[in-house]
Amino acid sequence: MTDPPATPALSVRNLHKSFGPLEVLRGISLDIAQGAVVTLIGASGSGKSTFLRCLNHLEQPTSGEIYVDGVPITDDIAGLRARLGMVFQQFNLWPHMTVLGNVIEAPLRVKRMPRPEAVALGRRFLAKVNLLDKQDEYPARLSGGQQQRVAIARALAMEPKVMLFDEATSSLDPELTNEVLAVMRDLARDGTTMVVVTHEMAFAREVSDRVVFLHMGQVEEDGPPAQVFGAPVSPRCRQFLSSVRA
Amino acid sequence: MFARLGQSLDPALFWDYRATLLAGLVVNIGIFVASAMLASVLAVAIGVARTSRNRLLRGVSTLYAELFRNTPEYVLLVWAYYVLPLILSRMLAHKLAIGPVPAAILALGFAYSGFMAETVRAGLLAVPRGHREAALALGISHFDILRRIVFPQALRRMLPDALNQYVSLFKATSIVSLISVEDIMYQVSMINVEEMRPLPLYTGAALLYCAIIIVASQTIQALTRNWHRRGWA
Repeated sequence: MTDPPATPALSVRNLHKSFGPLEVLRGISLDIAQGAVVTLIGASGSGKSTFLRCLNHLEQPTSGEIYVDGVPITDDIAGLRARLGMVFQQFNLWPHMTVLGNVIEAPLRVKRMPRPEAVALGRRFLAKVNLLDKQDEYPARLSGGQQQRVAIARALAMEPKVMLFDEATSSLDPELTNEVLAVMRDLARDGTTMVVVTHEMAFAREVSDRVVFLHMGQVEEDGPPAQVFGAPVSPRCRQFLSSVRA
Repeated sequence: MFARLGQSLDPALFWDYRATLLAGLVVNIGIFVASAMLASVLAVAIGVARTSRNRLLRGVSTLYAELFRNTPEYVLLVWAYYVLPLILSRMLAHKLAIGPVPAAILALGFAYSGFMAETVRAGLLAVPRGHREAALALGISHFDILRRIVFPQALRRMLPDALNQYVSLFKATSIVSLISVEDIMYQVSMINVEEMRPLPLYTGAALLYCAIIIVASQTIQALTRNWHRRGWA
């Protein structure tokens, strides 16, 4: 941890975001190393989701800089988005396309990949989330956990530099949560760089390399899970952790 | 009493003039198809503009939709036939006339584009925002999002409403005889001048309109039913 790699996968400098008079992010700077799994925790309204959404400009940051692989993001927002995969709380699969159709849509349209190549790629990622047998189903026929795994495969199919998970398990029943977390664990083991907003403290503790606690739009605590969960410096972080453990 | 009524309804009279009436029906269908296409194209453009983030675009398209939704078709028809050529002649400094058929197509096309733009707008807004965001997050362009993600879903939601609009539009083609387009109503009136038998002629025209619309809308509904069967409509 003392020698971070020369080029972080993702660098954020002094990110601010306001909605009208409400300042949600108040100057966040983070470097995310290649292959690192970083979880963002914090109370509702602390700015976790907004931070994630600012990273790929689903929300336009008010100010601040974002670098992917050392390259600053200026005008090419679509290019930025293609290099950051995002998984949403509500899955957001397109209901009029099959499972495979959902996964190959972006490679076809954004990378202009020939269809046979996209299909092979899509099948590879569906196999990775254990849903190859569902490739011809429509999303409405899948369980929530299966839908979320398709959404993960869909994001992976763009072979992004960093995967962003925005409360990916929050709308799932506990038994379905586990199958999604298992896929996320696999990705972490494979060395995927991940930024995970989650309420799953067990996942944050076991899987992540680093835990960042946000409070009122600022980084309040930042360190390896053992430190953040074991001996947090910030009293607010301590208070938050005791409230979620209770 | 019924015997006399049957006599004066006399379907045979309607049948005798079938060739003339059919020619009129072809004109109605032609005007319907052309104005439905015009209305649909305009409605998509205006409907998309109505949901735009650009305030100017939104304002102009709202004004457009309100203007055409709130002006009676008949007034638009007369306006397109008599006033539009005058304006165009002045602007081009060159005498210009618009034939009754093009005027009818323009009037009905624009009139219904206002209604249908609302249908398009409602359909677009019914697609969950998350579906768009997921596509944006993958780097898909706005145009592809509209074409591949939003429209296919919106279309299915619009369909029942759009179908009603097309039915109304077809019914509205019955007013084009007022600017001397030779449609069914025109033919029926002409025949009536000779025969003086309004009862069988106008009743026959009414039944003909009704039958065509019922057959057409049932057919379209049957064709689109399998969308709903798949469970995602």
